[in-house]
Amino acid sequence: MIMSEKSKQHVDSCRFCWMCHHICPIGNATGQERNTARARALGISLVNREAIELEEIMDNIYECCTCGACVHDCITGWDPVMFTKETRLQAALEDKLPSYINTLVDNCLETGNAYGKTALCDKLTAAIAAHSAKTDILFYLGVDARYMACEQAVKAITVLEKAGVNFTVLADEAPSGSQLDFLIGAANETKEQMNAANAVFAGFDTVVFYDPNDAKTVKQIYKEYGVEGDYKAVTYTSFVADLLKNGKLEAKNSGKAVVFQDPYQLSRDLEETEEAREIITAYAVLGEMLLNRKETVWAGNILMAQYIPDVMKMVANRRLSNVKSIGQDTIVTACVSEYVSLKSVEQDDVTVLSLEDLILG
Amino acid sequence: MQIQMNEFLFAMILTELEDAVGKENCSTRAIDKVTHSVDYYWLSRMWADRGCRMPEADFVVCPKDATEVSKVLKIANYYKLPVTTWGAGGGTQGGAIPVAGGIVLDTKRMNQIYEVNTEGMYIECGTGAIYKHIEWAANEVGKATMHYPSSLTCSTVGGFLAHRGIGVVSTKYGKIDDMVLKMEVVLPNGDIIETSPAPKHAAGPDLNQLFIGSEGTLGIITKAQIRIFDQPEERRFRGFLFQDMHGAFEASRELLQKFKPSVMRLYDEAETASLIKKIVGVERKGAFMNVAYEGVKEMVDVEEKILLETFKKYGAEDLGSEYGEKWWKEKITFFYPGHMMDIPQCFGTMDTIAPYGTIEKIYWAMKNAIETNFPQAKFIAHFSHWYEWGAMIYDRFIVDGKDVPKDPVEALRLHQAIWTCGVRTAIANGGVVNDHHGVGIKLGRLMKEQYGPAMQVFEGIKKQLDPNGIMNPFKLGL
Repeated sequence: MIMSEKSKQHVDSCRFCWMCHHICPIGNATGQERNTARARALGISLVNREAIELEEIMDNIYECCTCGACVHDCITGWDPVMFTKETRLQAALEDKLPSYINTLVDNCLETGNAYGKTALCDKLTAAIAAHSAKTDILFYLGVDARYMACEQAVKAITVLEKAGVNFTVLADEAPSGSQLDFLIGAANETKEQMNAANAVFAGFDTVVFYDPNDAKTVKQIYKEYGVEGDYKAVTYTSFVADLLKNGKLEAKNSGKAVVFQDPYQLSRDLEETEEAREIITAYAVLGEMLLNRKETVWAGNILMAQYIPDVMKMVANRRLSNVKSIGQDTIVTACVSEYVSLKSVEQDDVTVLSLEDLILG
Repeated sequence: MQIQMNEFLFAMILTELEDAVGKENCSTRAIDKVTHSVDYYWLSRMWADRGCRMPEADFVVCPKDATEVSKVLKIANYYKLPVTTWGAGGGTQGGAIPVAGGIVLDTKRMNQIYEVNTEGMYIECGTGAIYKHIEWAANEVGKATMHYPSSLTCSTVGGFLAHRGIGVVSTKYGKIDDMVLKMEVVLPNGDIIETSPAPKHAAGPDLNQLFIGSEGTLGIITKAQIRIFDQPEERRFRGFLFQDMHGAFEASRELLQKFKPSVMRLYDEAETASLIKKIVGVERKGAFMNVAYEGVKEMVDVEEKILLETFKKYGAEDLGSEYGEKWWKEKITFFYPGHMMDIPQCFGTMDTIAPYGTIEKIYWAMKNAIETNFPQAKFIAHFSHWYEWGAMIYDRFIVDGKDVPKDPVEALRLHQAIWTCGVRTAIANGGVVNDHHGVGIKLGRLMKEQYGPAMQVFEGIKKQLDPNGIMNPFKLGL
């Protein structure tokens, strides 16, 4: 398998290292040995040594959520996410992707989203239409919110409206490239999507990204791929936190005790941990799970639920157990995909809220 | 008698195993078999590095509890299939490698934390729980497990129990075998048993201690009550430099008659000049020793006074707390790629334990044996677990990659020869075949040399509990 020397070095370091064995949210949920960075590296190293076929490890390569918990945990800086994404790219180039991944990729290329959706719900269509006029601020919803969680998208728009923000939402959003980046890494098709989206973003002074995954993609991955734009990219959480600070949003603390689910894209990739907390503490009483901020545990997403739905439920359930083990009963999310994932396993004794739910009451 | 596997029988057994644990928890996929064929054992790593496939299981099963384990063992016994128990694969002795094929039973779905009991001061958990996870559970209620080996994050509770593991604060809090109150075990015939409700009693031999260290050869430990402790009010460190190892041993032996520090680690000159210099920053010639003492503040004050007075008597130079604190912070860094030995080097840790009367003699004899017989090998050591009666040697050999044969069988021969030489020397001088990494397939051949006729006790128990010999064959010398 063709692989960069850098990735090969990381693979050969990780294949016999067990130190992050405890940290993978998927491995901890499934209990499967293959859901570890070392198992993935071992598989790739054996492909590189022609002891196993690439096709035989690809299911496992797609069981990685690329949350970077292993990368963050590694004292010596090895990066399993890097070689996992590179292996996905190589499998795509060699036409060795699993069929269920091919379907998702085809959907991305044909419809702009992995789910193959083309229609929005009526409420969201109306909410978007109210903000079709061009302004300086683009509010970018992203594919998960638009097609898989439209009620949350509507609430997010309502929050900005309540604060009196003058903003634009596009009826047709160019895909940010985040889904293709997850599925096939730095392929030409991924970069083409990114460049197209970047051209749209460049028509605004500020782009507010609702989905932390898009925010991470634009603020971090675009740079890695050489996609640069002259606009200010901000996360929804930091934007809303500023609205609160500036007195644009009124807050009344309900006294409700909650914990916060840090999205890894915000906490680990963009190093944004306090903005959401500022919002929450204005509306509720914030407690902390043991693993918070950069140590957060990913709680599942919509994209992977398309091909391993049971695993996503296990991941979400495990995170909810962290809420209960410290005697709390409400978890607030700042990532629409994690919200949907956690909501899918919501139990009588744990409530899942989004930041918008908290703000709007 | 082991069965002759064929396609039909394979399919039949697979359906029975799927029925026992659920289809999604029973795999014959290449990735699962490969993943469970390479553990932390140098030989398995070298084999994979050379592009060779290690022996693989036919089936990988992941039961969720003792009932499912029982079903699997009944199937295995009926078809006389080998069963190798796998925790997280962090073992260094090849104990989890399915060398005879058959079934690998991965315990990690048995990761439930059933109870955190702050009155009885224990956590009851499935043995597939990663130890770090029960540490987190203890931390959530302000307690700690006080079992902190370098493999804390990469080993299961069951894995530590299987080979009698140990952590860095063992001198005060004990080894894993001191940390268990009660266990649930599935016997090879599928019977589920519990050990006594309390670990100290006069109701016959200790069932806990029969299964702890048995490495999956006598049954599968499925649940355990693990002790937890109050977090210490204070944990203080003190680094010392000894000019000769003998003085360090004398000082440490005397100190342990007075109180028990939590950490005691004495590094020989070679390791002080290599690892300790690199990671902790001690650039002085001599033998570095780090001591930690902890607990209630008033007692820690007294212990510090005793420590300083005792070590001064033996010529120890007090280096203050800085190096010790740095050591604590970096205690796991030693084991990351880039700091730890790795392929293409050939290396191993031949840890042994002995009373004070022989421990120094063993160190010098092993150092001499390795350096004389294998001039291409470097020998370094530290002494990391201490008792009132003796201590253990964590001695390592390292052969540079250029001196390791490329041919995997020849590399295996070199590795085996060094191990045999080192461990035989330890046994001949009064040491034990291993202190805390276990035996596995690596040292099984030396168990009879260690125990002589006493080995028949283990063999008799094995024969009675596992008459078909299905449980982790070729491990522990059984």
